[in-house]
Amino acid sequence: METSFAITGKGYVLVASDTTAARSIVKMKTDEDKIKVISPHLLMAYSGEPGDTIQFAEYVERNLRLFHIRNNYALRPSAAASWIRRSLAQSLRSRKPYSVNLMLGGFDVTTDTPHLYWVDYLGTMTEVPFGAHGYGAYFGLSLLDRYHNPEATLEEGIETLKRCINEVSKRLVVSPEKYKVKVVDKDGTREIEL
Amino acid sequence: MSIMEYNGGSVVAMVGKDCVAIASDLRLGNQALGISSNFQKIFPVTDRIFLGLPGLATDVTTLRETFRFRVNMYTIKEEREIEPETFAHLVSSTLYEPTGGFRPFIAATDLIGCLNFAKDFVVAGTASTKLYGTAEGLWEPDLDPEQLFETISQTMLNAVDRDAYSGWGVVVHVIEKDKVTTRTLKGRMD
Amino acid sequence: MSRRYDSRTTIFSPEGRLYQIEYAMEAISHAGTVLGVLAKDGVVLAAEKKVTGKLLDLSGAKEGGYGGSGEKIFLLNSNVIGGVAGLTADANSLINFARSAAQQHLLQYNEDIPVELLAQRLCDMKQGYTQYGGLRPFGVSLLYAGYDSHYQFQLYHSDPSGNYSGWKATCIGANNGTAQSLLKQEYKDDIEVKAAISLVLKTMSKTMDSTTLGSEKLEFAVITLDPETKLPKAKIYRPDEIDKLLEAEGLAKKEDDNAMRT
Repeated sequence: METSFAITGKGYVLVASDTTAARSIVKMKTDEDKIKVISPHLLMAYSGEPGDTIQFAEYVERNLRLFHIRNNYALRPSAAASWIRRSLAQSLRSRKPYSVNLMLGGFDVTTDTPHLYWVDYLGTMTEVPFGAHGYGAYFGLSLLDRYHNPEATLEEGIETLKRCINEVSKRLVVSPEKYKVKVVDKDGTREIEL
Repeated sequence: MSIMEYNGGSVVAMVGKDCVAIASDLRLGNQALGISSNFQKIFPVTDRIFLGLPGLATDVTTLRETFRFRVNMYTIKEEREIEPETFAHLVSSTLYEPTGGFRPFIAATDLIGCLNFAKDFVVAGTASTKLYGTAEGLWEPDLDPEQLFETISQTMLNAVDRDAYSGWGVVVHVIEKDKVTTRTLKGRMD
Repeated sequence: MSRRYDSRTTIFSPEGRLYQIEYAMEAISHAGTVLGVLAKDGVVLAAEKKVTGKLLDLSGAKEGGYGGSGEKIFLLNSNVIGGVAGLTADANSLINFARSAAQQHLLQYNEDIPVELLAQRLCDMKQGYTQYGGLRPFGVSLLYAGYDSHYQFQLYHSDPSGNYSGWKATCIGANNGTAQSLLKQEYKDDIEVKAAISLVLKTMSKTMDSTTLGSEKLEFAVITLDPETKLPKAKIYRPDEIDKLLEAEGLAKKEDDNAMRT
């Protein structure tokens, strides 16, 4: 089942998402990238109704890109997150709402601070030190309550992330096998091999 | 399950002698699963009006943004702060406005902020039934700001301990004629 | 001949000019002076009031509101102040538009509108009136003094054609040429707000028609960062605060010594 985690550390946000694309009970694909780089310093992990997810993620990606081209600077993570939240909240009261849950990890270059936003398909948004979506949340969040350290180095952050992923693999009946992990910090975004 | 219980959260407000206080918990949940322990539910509207919005969190955020927009436009055009009574009407007309033509907004709000609005206290949110009990027991007339702070804090802390959907810390604002004191209280994290 | 190209803004003259726009700019160069100076830690705006007289009711300016007497300097958003030169009625409608645009941005992005974006919003509208259906362009130039986290303190100028540009110090309205050459001489790149206030007032006193400065002829505003919250703090001075400031700067009107001496 779909699972995503994100944790903040000293000057960075780590975002991890499983790579399965499933229809019903069948795994169609196990190398799907479900974390989009939507700005030079902003990552978005998305999950939910297949189809809606990609449609919405691309809608967000292109709108933020348009803003960047028009104004010569990218929206700050908090501004981008508020705009995305509003899109979902408005979609909720439309004829066909998007069913997409998001995790937004960004680095605000104007204040040199990492930010992580937890967003669900209703348009609920809150800034968190760590967050998770999907069944993995039931295992990961309690581990993160115990092991998360906002001052952790990237190496320590990756170790904490591995704890969560291992716990899900061990305890969840339908656990995903592979994860993609990306990090955002002052230098931008990059992928990390676990 | 009522939609008010999806994210959880409670607000209580009390009247004292020449002061009022408003308090809320800080939890944001996904039903029984806790997501955040610093989700703001009380928003400053002006220097002496605070609005508490427990309910479906997406609507809490949308409404706070809508009210901020309307109040800012009012303030800059009128060149004065909005009066609590005027703001109450703004809240009421906004909540009755249907969104998208499908269903009305789902959010219960109690407006506090002025001495005139309630004689004693008002409660809202998932712990409202418990809050009635604790508030009824602890509140008395003519409390001074410090006593009121103690009363509302105990009312809130004890009520949310009996509610699975509220808790994870409490924030209290005590509003006096010329100042506002805000304190964050630690609560049980279970 | 040239008259044929005057009546409609949308028509170019054979020399490739848009006369109505040029007339609008001409109108502005007769309006009250507005002057802005960008400092390291803030921006200062001052404006010359034209509508004066002892029968004018200014009681509204003295109490309540966000300061100012509402002729030349306005609060556009919590992080931007605007100074206008030109037709006051046109300016009022632009100010309304700017305030709505700023709030719209706050609603969409949960942040104060960046200063340049606000200037762009107004310029898009102003430009529209130089092109569409027989409408008159806005006879207004604006100075925008503001702060945002992308480019910190900024000062912009926009004109009736819809052009805008950023400045370290600039002036619009009557005598803007004199003021600008004065500013060019006196401006230093690392100027701070305190010195910028003196520079603005000194330049104003030299360019204004009247010999002495007083709150009945002057509007004044400063935007700085609040030392505690680190948020932009716009201050539009009230008439009595302007008089106090002028006194401190040694530019105040001397009380006429009319008393009979024995």
